[in-house]
Amino acid sequence: MRKGHASAVRSRLTFYERMEPYLFLAPALLIFCVFLIYPFVRTNYLSFFLTDKYGQAKVFWAFRNYTDIFKDKSFWISLKVTFRFVLMVASGGLIVGMITSLLTVKKYIGNAFAGAVYAMPVAIASAAASMSFKMILHPTNGLLNILLGTSINWTGNANWALYSVAAMTIWLTSGINFIFISAGLRNIADDLYESAAIDGAGYWRKLWHITLPGLSPTLFFQIIINIIGAFQSFSQIRLLTRGGPGDATNVIVYNIYKNAFENFRFGTAAALSVILFIIIMGITLMQFKMEKRSVNY
Amino acid sequence: MKTARKVLGNVGRFSLNLPILLIILVPLLYTLSISVMPPSEIYRNRLIPSSLNLSNYINAFTNPNYHFPRFILNSFIVSASVMLGQMITCSLAAFAFSFLEFRGKRALFILILATMMVPGEATIIANYLTISRWGYLDSYQALIMPYLTSAMGIFLLRQHYLTFAKELHEAARLDGCNNWRFLLSIVAPLSRPALGALGAYVFLNTWNQYMWPLLVTNTHKYRTVQIGISMLYDIDAQSLGLMMAGVIIVIVPSLSIFVFMQRQLINGLMAGAVKG
Repeated sequence: MRKGHASAVRSRLTFYERMEPYLFLAPALLIFCVFLIYPFVRTNYLSFFLTDKYGQAKVFWAFRNYTDIFKDKSFWISLKVTFRFVLMVASGGLIVGMITSLLTVKKYIGNAFAGAVYAMPVAIASAAASMSFKMILHPTNGLLNILLGTSINWTGNANWALYSVAAMTIWLTSGINFIFISAGLRNIADDLYESAAIDGAGYWRKLWHITLPGLSPTLFFQIIINIIGAFQSFSQIRLLTRGGPGDATNVIVYNIYKNAFENFRFGTAAALSVILFIIIMGITLMQFKMEKRSVNY
Repeated sequence: MKTARKVLGNVGRFSLNLPILLIILVPLLYTLSISVMPPSEIYRNRLIPSSLNLSNYINAFTNPNYHFPRFILNSFIVSASVMLGQMITCSLAAFAFSFLEFRGKRALFILILATMMVPGEATIIANYLTISRWGYLDSYQALIMPYLTSAMGIFLLRQHYLTFAKELHEAARLDGCNNWRFLLSIVAPLSRPALGALGAYVFLNTWNQYMWPLLVTNTHKYRTVQIGISMLYDIDAQSLGLMMAGVIIVIVPSLSIFVFMQRQLINGLMAGAVKG
């Protein structure tokens, strides 16, 4: 019935009226086509070619860029480094976000101030934070060494570099974790806590039996956000360690950057980008699938 | 007695926060402290300066070798342009998706949402090659153009527009108000909170960008401030104080947006975005 009416109206529309919606969409679609869809297709295309140093496709190589990458030992190191980094940052961010949210969920004098401080790192640029941590981690005059009475080269020592960059990234992402987890906490119904209090449940039992199950959709969503974000970290790697020492912090994104913009191997870089895209896509799809199943409400 | 206990409880609760508050705040306080410390004290590993030394700030703004005022200007131009651009393109597209009927509406909307899943790294190489082929390396266009729209912005504004009553649109049309005027003089003014959230979020994100400006700029004429501060280290690794003054200068606009537009900013963030 409604549909019939709509088509009757549509047939009376002038040509301009039928085209008008597309005019509204045109600017956004133009930008999407030129700077998102085309380059995405182009990256996939380049990944099958040997390219010159200007990024022009020269020889069709089918899967050779990919097989070369998989045969290269440094790719597997880079992948391992990336996964370790992602694991540390995603879980570290979640834990800090959990603690800060739980500390500020009840109202008391100063809780708004504490909340504002916990959220603040969202506003700080990764480059600015990296420079600040460059000073903190400075081998001779940095805060961390002064406080510990040590003289460790936190970013130049292969044993410490990845932990240093991960710790700095947890600091940087603690704000977004706090904001989302706090919002999740506030959505848990109060009457659950009230009835638990009547039953005589203490703080930790309420945390375990009400807060955690109620928060699980938020935590699940947040850990995916953390994982995707961590996979894409670049500024702190470039500014603190340049992927080194050796390959100690050579995460995939930095590997892509080095291949494309230091060695001008655009084909290899494109293939690595495709691999990164597939990993991130896989995680996103997993999120959609698991969200339906394993999350307690 | 009762109030005393209440105050005590408040103090107790707040003091539980102190360790983490300290960890979050110390990097910024330390940066500030180093930036106003006389150079000799930095190398004597002092934590708090004995006297206030503003020479790093004066140096950053007046020494022509650092180009700092230019970097700040560049960042303002780029961030403001991207912000205005997204407000316009996203408003228009969101309007079509919420008020108008047309063929392919659903498919186009899904296509736009799907673009959110493509990470920047999957497009950045080809975008660099496009910009360089057009001869736009080292220009404002290069910094601005790729970011003139966003799926997140369209989504955020559409959610808001869907709360408008359809009757409002129909009544306006009967009064002879066309869609463009309806958007400009009725929908946009009523959407100030959503537009504010988008604007604050986009300005901040653009101000904070690092990878793209690093790739497409080569000279101080177009470099943004984030690239500028990271280069201070390459120019003179000895002047740690200057570097930290640079960080503080860059953070001030970001923190101002955070302090004065916290609610809008958080609404923008919640609309679904990952920090890149």
